[in-house]
Amino acid sequence: MTGVTIAGPGFGGRVLAIARKEFLHVSRDRVLSRLIVLMPVVLLVLFGYALNSTVKSIPLATVDGSNDRVSAAIEKAFSGNERFAIQFKPSLAAANEAVRSGSARGVLVIPSGAQAALRSGKAVPFSILVDGSDPTVSSQVRAGAAAAIQDFSKQVLAGRALAGNGFSAPTSVTMTTLYNPDNRTAVYMVPGLIGLILTFITILLTSIAIVREREIGTMEALIATPVRPIEVIIGKILPYMGFGILDAAIVLVVGVFVFAVPVVGNLWLLAGGIALFVLGSLGIGIVISTVAASQIQAMFGTIAYLLPSIFLSGMLFPLEGMTPFFRVVSTIIPLRYFLHVSRGVMLRGAGVADLSVDLIALTIFAAFMLLLASLRFRKTL
Amino acid sequence: MNAIETSHLGRDFGRGRSRVTVVDDLNLVVPAGIVFGYLGPNGAGKTTTIRLLSGVLTPTRGTGRVAGFDLRQADAVKARIGYANQSASVYRDLTVSENLRFKASLFLAPGLVQAAVERTIVALNLGAVRKVLAGELSGGWRQRLSIGTAVVQGPSIAFLDEPTAGLDPLARRALWDVIYELCAAGTTIFVTTHYMDEAERCHELAMIANGRILAQGTPAALKKGLPGAYYELEPGDLAAAMREARKAPGVTDAWINGSRLRIAAAHPLPADALGRLPALAQPVAPTLEDVFVALSGLEKEARA
Repeated sequence: MTGVTIAGPGFGGRVLAIARKEFLHVSRDRVLSRLIVLMPVVLLVLFGYALNSTVKSIPLATVDGSNDRVSAAIEKAFSGNERFAIQFKPSLAAANEAVRSGSARGVLVIPSGAQAALRSGKAVPFSILVDGSDPTVSSQVRAGAAAAIQDFSKQVLAGRALAGNGFSAPTSVTMTTLYNPDNRTAVYMVPGLIGLILTFITILLTSIAIVREREIGTMEALIATPVRPIEVIIGKILPYMGFGILDAAIVLVVGVFVFAVPVVGNLWLLAGGIALFVLGSLGIGIVISTVAASQIQAMFGTIAYLLPSIFLSGMLFPLEGMTPFFRVVSTIIPLRYFLHVSRGVMLRGAGVADLSVDLIALTIFAAFMLLLASLRFRKTL
Repeated sequence: MNAIETSHLGRDFGRGRSRVTVVDDLNLVVPAGIVFGYLGPNGAGKTTTIRLLSGVLTPTRGTGRVAGFDLRQADAVKARIGYANQSASVYRDLTVSENLRFKASLFLAPGLVQAAVERTIVALNLGAVRKVLAGELSGGWRQRLSIGTAVVQGPSIAFLDEPTAGLDPLARRALWDVIYELCAAGTTIFVTTHYMDEAERCHELAMIANGRILAQGTPAALKKGLPGAYYELEPGDLAAAMREARKAPGVTDAWINGSRLRIAAAHPLPADALGRLPALAQPVAPTLEDVFVALSGLEKEARA
């Protein structure tokens, strides 16, 4: 047979052969195939329901020294709009104990003589103590208390105005929340979750798929065939790109139909952002696989990439809250740009012009990572 | 026509002071159409040689032609060879026929794949397990599949790296039947082993230690060409007899082989020297193991 020219399968044939085999691996792996479908749903439920950062009916230990109509009106203002759940305590000591033990998040103290003070036209003195151990809760206690006090003051002013001895409030503010007016966490989280799941699925699956071949020795058998490195890369990333996009679709569909997340903008623009982000992430998966010697190392490599992405991208914590140093660091986190695109398109209906910087950043990310991946992968062959 | 020819082929690993030569000055001639054995202890450079000849590794020095193409045309070489690496690397979560199909579709146009898979299943008698996952096969059958994935595309040379490692004698024999059948069908087989009895089965073989070829030829020629004489005796106390024999004049080595004591001498021992041995010594023909031990001893001296 020496010297005979064999009719080969060509570039597309070899890529398809590898993609088909890779798809078989996933379909044979019950854990992996379920993970791919269930992970987005589980994460959605977690972030959408359980991790709701809008706290309602915050327990508030209340010491009422007056027990009259005015103190009752104050308490009503606090418990209004599901802001606080009032727990009456006999003394300040008992109220403080409730906060210390964690059964209440703050203390409201109304001293005696509230009604008398109001009748004589004086300010009603009362104090609020806030448990600062959880910054999220304490800021919501402050916000809730401020709103309750405003409600109460309005009520008093209205009463005084009716009695003819009132004056109007110095300001009159109308505050309107644009986009996500109900301040629902799910609306904010779903576009972010698409990014998180895409990062996780694509990087983990590609890096493990390549490292596994090296571990069991089949990579060497692959190298001994005429298949080229670029064909291996493309064949391997095609199925995982498919799975990533499938997951993005699951999150999107569940988000829209279960969590009523709006999609205001252009879906094709969102799809374009997803494609760029997935390509770059697949490149990172390959780069990790060229460094990792085992599947465990590949997994840790993925996590090492994932954690800063989550914390520095603005997915959970706003970029505005970061120190200048980490704000600079966050500019190299690809998820940050993807989040701008997904939140911008889905929640605010942003267009290409609004997102040009982010789209350019994602294009650079995808091109750079794929280039780096093919260079690195060549060396390991 | 030779299937493989190499000239001063060598490969180093590492850089600077940690540089190690794993294969050195390899001059190999493998005629087409035979079972060629590559015999050596673990770490001798057998796997590295196969990787060099199959285009997986690029040589540091020297040249070679494999299947009619220069090793520098790695893709042309790869298109004409098959390689079953150590540890039977097949995809365990794929079935026997899926493994064969995948490998065939990397080499052959889509229309030729099915026929190649069927031909291989018949040739290697894999019909009964074609739908079984490779991970559920026993060691011997997995090795058989591994060889199948190396030859499914119809290569002119098949490289088999320790195909029988860890198998029981029956499975080993069955695998050698497969190897002979592939050879009879026209494929040159290049097989590595560290089992001496398997080396005897090869048409020709090369012995390698520390990255260098010690000798090359047919098993019979290698044994015939070995200088010195070999004897066996059956003393009562083997251990005591061995100590005694090692001190005897003219004896270069003595070791226990089952219930017998085997003695190597640089020259045939004279009658009086034989008489001083602890029991009656019978002259015996050298085995391949004797050849290997003698040659690697010479190589060690040469290096020292």
